[in-house]
Amino acid sequence: MSRIVDIPAQFDDRGFEQFVAGIGAWPPEERLFFDGRGVQWSTPYSLVGLLTAGQSIREDKGEKPLLAIPTNDDVRSYWSRMRFFEHAADLFELHGKLPRPHRGARHSDTLLEITPVRASEDVHDVVGGIQEGAQRILTGELGLEAKATMGFAMALSESCQNIVEHAGTGGWVAVQTYHYRRRLGRRVAVIAVSDAGVGFRRSLEATQAKRFGDRWRDGTALEAALVQGVSRFRDPGRGQGFAGIKRYLQRWHGKISVRSGTARLAIVPSWDDDVPLVENLCFFPGSQLQVTIPSQDTAAE
Amino acid sequence: MIETINVARVLREALATPYRILVTRATGALVRDRIELKLTQSNCHAAVLDFREVDLLDLSCADEVVAKLLRSGQAKFVAIAGLHEDLREQVHEVLEPQRLAVTVVHDDGAPELLGSVSEDARLAFMELRDAGCTCAELARRLAWPADRAASALATLESLRLARHDDHGFTLIPFA
Repeated sequence: MSRIVDIPAQFDDRGFEQFVAGIGAWPPEERLFFDGRGVQWSTPYSLVGLLTAGQSIREDKGEKPLLAIPTNDDVRSYWSRMRFFEHAADLFELHGKLPRPHRGARHSDTLLEITPVRASEDVHDVVGGIQEGAQRILTGELGLEAKATMGFAMALSESCQNIVEHAGTGGWVAVQTYHYRRRLGRRVAVIAVSDAGVGFRRSLEATQAKRFGDRWRDGTALEAALVQGVSRFRDPGRGQGFAGIKRYLQRWHGKISVRSGTARLAIVPSWDDDVPLVENLCFFPGSQLQVTIPSQDTAAE
Repeated sequence: MIETINVARVLREALATPYRILVTRATGALVRDRIELKLTQSNCHAAVLDFREVDLLDLSCADEVVAKLLRSGQAKFVAIAGLHEDLREQVHEVLEPQRLAVTVVHDDGAPELLGSVSEDARLAFMELRDAGCTCAELARRLAWPADRAASALATLESLRLARHDDHGFTLIPFA
């Protein structure tokens, strides 16, 4: 017997929260049936998050969840060219008409298909592989200055390194540009990273929990890392990754949002109406990060 | 003696990668270990890290390669060369919060400070760039009290950006 968890039609970061709420307690006690048949729109963030759900269930020795794939041809094709199905085949029992594996050239809006990150070498390949495409997309499509490419690669590298350094398990990354109709009506470049690891609270607990006392929870752990630049390592050079990402985003009017456990913290630019800190969300394992860089005509508004 | 180290070459020796990018702490630690080994073997008191062929540097790697090398004292004096503008920003961002500074050697040989130093130390560095001097001479040139000049020069020496002997203070002749 399995329990059905609907994947929302709009499967973006907000839709992802509906999806997580549908899962309920973690780890799930029953076999889950993720029903994605009605998905009409999805983002790299939601796709790496969905893989993380499957990964975490597997790592918890849970029964392999079922996944009904979208019926919408465009969505299914998108999931295919993002190589979602290649990774999902190991984590889910897939149901529905699978598209033929995408073998052609990388789609022009895709900088990096969903890619597993387990070790430092993976980060090297991810960052090295996107350099040329990043230059083309950031300067050509988003109207950023050429020097923005270096910062983008740095942000990608530091985001992926959080998995290697802190998660204690593997994760996923994807980078894409798309037209962000829902909140912006403009093009954006998005870095989405998700892991099934220990999350920020547990990663920082040994060094920070005492300082926060009763206030220590997922939200304060995210604040410590993202706002105060705290690291679990005492080395004075640590904790600079998020600081560097924030400086880059400030310059290019970008947004970062990090979800871990039951909280989500965002540094919100003026073009967005997101809430900086949301607590008491339904628990989801590991951490999920999204960096969004808007086209510069948006930022100027 | 001064050892010039091609950082991109060290990266190639340390890691089988087609990219000339310095990213991740693990890579940075690997590269720093190799640089330290080279310095030990060559017995040099000064090293110039040449970043000319490096395309990309992230903060974690900059911390491992540059900041930790400065802190380790493995090379008594360290300078950087071949930094293009973007790499320069990353190096500055890791040095600044750690109150570290390094000499950047430009192609024309002119030294420049990068990182965190007091304004007085920066002015003293610029004076030393023109010519070495004693505390008294620096005080006279900048119209400072002697203790202010002494403090600025002591800062440069403690950061290993300058050295002194019986004739006074000089910058390290990296070029």
